[in-house]
Amino acid sequence: MALLSEVKKDYGRLQNFVNGEWIDSTSSKVLDIENPSTGGIIGKVPMSTADETKAAIEAAHEAWWAWRETPPITRARVMFKLKELMEQNFENVARIMVQEQGKTIDEARGETRRTIENVEVAAGIPSLMMGYNLEDGAAEGIDEDAVISPLGVFGAICPFNFPAMIPFWFWPYAVATGNCYIVKPSSQVPLTMNYLTKLIEQAGFPPGVLNVVNGSHEVSDTMMEHPKVKGISFVGSSPVAKYIYKHSAENGKRVQAQGGAKNSLVVMPDANLDRTVSNMLASYYGCAGQRCLAGSNLIAVGNIADTLLKKWIEGTKKIKMGYGLDESVNMGPVISAKAKKKALDYIDGAEKQGAKVIVDGRKAVVPGYEKGHFIGPTVLDQVTPDMTIAKEEVFAPVVSYIRMESMDEAIEFIHKSPFGNAASVYTQSGKTARDFRYRCQCGNIGINVGIVAAMAYFPFAGYKDSFFGDLHGQGQDAIKFFTDRKVVITRWF
Amino acid sequence: MVECDFPECTTFGSVIRFALELEKGAAGVYDELSKEPKAASAAEVFRTLSSVHKKRGELLEFTRREKLNEMILEPISELKRENYLIDTKTPMGLDAKAAARFASKIEETSARFYADSARIAKNLMAEAARTMERLGKENMANKAKLEAL
Repeated sequence: MALLSEVKKDYGRLQNFVNGEWIDSTSSKVLDIENPSTGGIIGKVPMSTADETKAAIEAAHEAWWAWRETPPITRARVMFKLKELMEQNFENVARIMVQEQGKTIDEARGETRRTIENVEVAAGIPSLMMGYNLEDGAAEGIDEDAVISPLGVFGAICPFNFPAMIPFWFWPYAVATGNCYIVKPSSQVPLTMNYLTKLIEQAGFPPGVLNVVNGSHEVSDTMMEHPKVKGISFVGSSPVAKYIYKHSAENGKRVQAQGGAKNSLVVMPDANLDRTVSNMLASYYGCAGQRCLAGSNLIAVGNIADTLLKKWIEGTKKIKMGYGLDESVNMGPVISAKAKKKALDYIDGAEKQGAKVIVDGRKAVVPGYEKGHFIGPTVLDQVTPDMTIAKEEVFAPVVSYIRMESMDEAIEFIHKSPFGNAASVYTQSGKTARDFRYRCQCGNIGINVGIVAAMAYFPFAGYKDSFFGDLHGQGQDAIKFFTDRKVVITRWF
Repeated sequence: MVECDFPECTTFGSVIRFALELEKGAAGVYDELSKEPKAASAAEVFRTLSSVHKKRGELLEFTRREKLNEMILEPISELKRENYLIDTKTPMGLDAKAAARFASKIEETSARFYADSARIAKNLMAEAARTMERLGKENMANKAKLEAL
């Protein structure tokens, strides 16, 4: 069928958005923005300088007090306006995302919906931000109040896998609570945020409230070190998350740094195998395995292992790969040639360690898209817990099939991982499900659900090396992260 | 003749795209039938049904935007494209009864598509399933209206 049309063929060189104005970066360092499905260059992104970042921070700080004095209901109204603009431009947002990130149009529409949901939740700020009080709370005739207040300027350092949703896990809550904000989009996928920023501009936020600075570590380091930045939100790999957490904390910032994952999906002997396979396909192959909530290890418990594997292979073979602007495509490419090579190295390494490649996506080619970074769905059988492929994050559509005797063994294996982002169990037994959710030390647990993606009104983060910080993204945690509690004790003579 | 591009139904998006093409095809056929001199007695009914199908297209676009849950975006394999293709090449010179019979086949095929989609959608996209069910029932009501002409 015909491809959906691209929003633009070439987005040109991107500008920064600072203090309500679109500004060219003076940097001579510029990266190409590649369409990972076609291999074509669709834009250029400047690596902004430390001084440009400092200017954005100063602009945000300058805008802060007036925005903090703006009543929450007025701030909420701007969020409503933004939601309306995002609905009107829904399809464009989704298609730009497909162009720069490679995900399918359904996945991009799903991400756009989740992005809007964060704006919708943040629009409830008058209720979400209320403090509390206690008459005679301090003593007879002396009342005590806890007031929730914003702190100033915050910033986000964003990854490539969700170009729209992840910046929106943070900034709408920060801004709705009365803070000002700097977003540094991923330099691999800055176009979607660039487009959304034009909508943010139209929505009517005062200059300086939301700023976007394109770039790399120079921008990030400046935000982490600047005394006027109160906190940093980050999503990416665990080693970088750990660095961000440490470096920001050394500079007195609040931090929420989300890291990598190695998620196991456990299938019990009593699972409904047909429904389980269908659901798990989306987990392992959705977004070409580049979700931090994607399944990676598939653990078959007991005597269902061979039957499940047969069904899994049948399901895997139905996955249609291609350019995400073809609506019938189930899976797009990985983000870059480098990401592809890394995944292929993991598959080769697993094979050398004794795993059997029973569905091999290493040489997959999509006709017409030979320059795209496609890896076909890949299934490795006879993976054992000690193999590298069972322990490290691959971030590609690669399934490590592991056979175990019991759920206890599966949970023990999950707990040995340094990661703790997500784990799921497939079972028809309430007792088994309850046991799994109670014992499993992961931040997100799925019961017959393979992608445990918290909605905007729930907190999202993992455990262990999957998250450095305490307050999670989204929901009430986001409100707490971007505000402080001020206690007022009042006595009238 | 209305040009339609029916995709393979392998994803939520392609199922909705298929449905949009069905609606476009149906609306186009009704537009053409409403201009047929020999079927003038049914022209008003055809005009109304064309407008109904255009509005259904808007509902489908709303459904695609609002009812998609990326957490349960599972592949679809049970809907075979060839089972639901409609004939949008409207024959010339049909009288009212023959025109109604021609259109009735489109309604019947569409009803089947929506009923089957709703059954599959119940597991994958429950909110969209309600829309599909509703559209399928409307098709059957339209068919009854045409048969009464």
